[in-house]
Amino acid sequence: MKKLILIISALGLAAGIYVWFYVYNKPHTDYENKPPDYIMTAKELYDRFVENPNLNYTGKVIQINGVFQSVEDDDSLITVVFVFNEGMFGSEGVRCTFIPRFNEQLRKLKAPGPISLKGFCSGYNGTDVILEHCSPAN
Amino acid sequence: MKKTVLIFFAIFFSAVSSQAQKYITKSGKISFFSDGPLEKIEAKNNKVNAAIDAKSGLIVFKVLMKSFVFEKALMQEHFNENYVESDKYPLSTFKGKITNIKDIDFTKEGTYDATVEGDLTIHGKTNRIKTNGKFIVSSNSINGKSSFTIKLADYNIEIPKIVTGKIAEEILISVDVDLKPLKR
Repeated sequence: MKKLILIISALGLAAGIYVWFYVYNKPHTDYENKPPDYIMTAKELYDRFVENPNLNYTGKVIQINGVFQSVEDDDSLITVVFVFNEGMFGSEGVRCTFIPRFNEQLRKLKAPGPISLKGFCSGYNGTDVILEHCSPAN
Repeated sequence: MKKTVLIFFAIFFSAVSSQAQKYITKSGKISFFSDGPLEKIEAKNNKVNAAIDAKSGLIVFKVLMKSFVFEKALMQEHFNENYVESDKYPLSTFKGKITNIKDIDFTKEGTYDATVEGDLTIHGKTNRIKTNGKFIVSSNSINGKSSFTIKLADYNIEIPKIVTGKIAEEILISVDVDLKPLKR
């Protein structure tokens, strides 16, 4: 009986440790190695959100291509910007913030120019579609 | 002809001056913090849209909830799925006004105290809020800072029963935006 209690306690402890390490401390999603849910041009992505701001692309990994207009380097985060419209917040389009390990590569980009990338879509804020944790698409 | 030219210049200069009065950012920072008995919750969002009309004092903020980053992935998941339901309510907004705009000169460098009042919408629920802040006007930008507390219940954000009493019912929201003149 004592042995059984010991085994159950050990199993309980192991389960607790598992939950602590693999559930509570589970790592953030690796978007760089996640296959895209959708592939389209940057313009198509923007147009679809303008037509329907509640589009269910939010939370998905989206791969886009197109000609970007500028590269913003702010606070060690680099954002590649596609512009398709003008509004109250100035230019409107698709804004793509990259994983910092690509910063050096991105600083060599010359705007405007073609690019293909993928990232996590956090939605449309009424002016821009936001892609985050972006990486170059192969 | 003379009249047409005059009207043209009047429209042109009014358009130029109204654009110069708007300041915007698309990389504003908002963070929130709560200190409950079970755990501290902290998240940051550095992709906030903010615009100020320096003449009228109108202020607009647009915040995508999925852009909040937590240290722990599990917390981020719970925040999006169980608390703010970011698939259903992806965007939070603030639309308001600087109520003491006459005391602030956005063309003159310096630090100005501001009071702001407006409608804050989170989780599909809108409440009127009033807060204090500071504007630091420099030669090429305006920095705006403010912090205020909101109650989760005021925005219909339910704390799951299993953690009731262990997670704070109020959160402290801090805003820090560097606004630049809007150029066309």
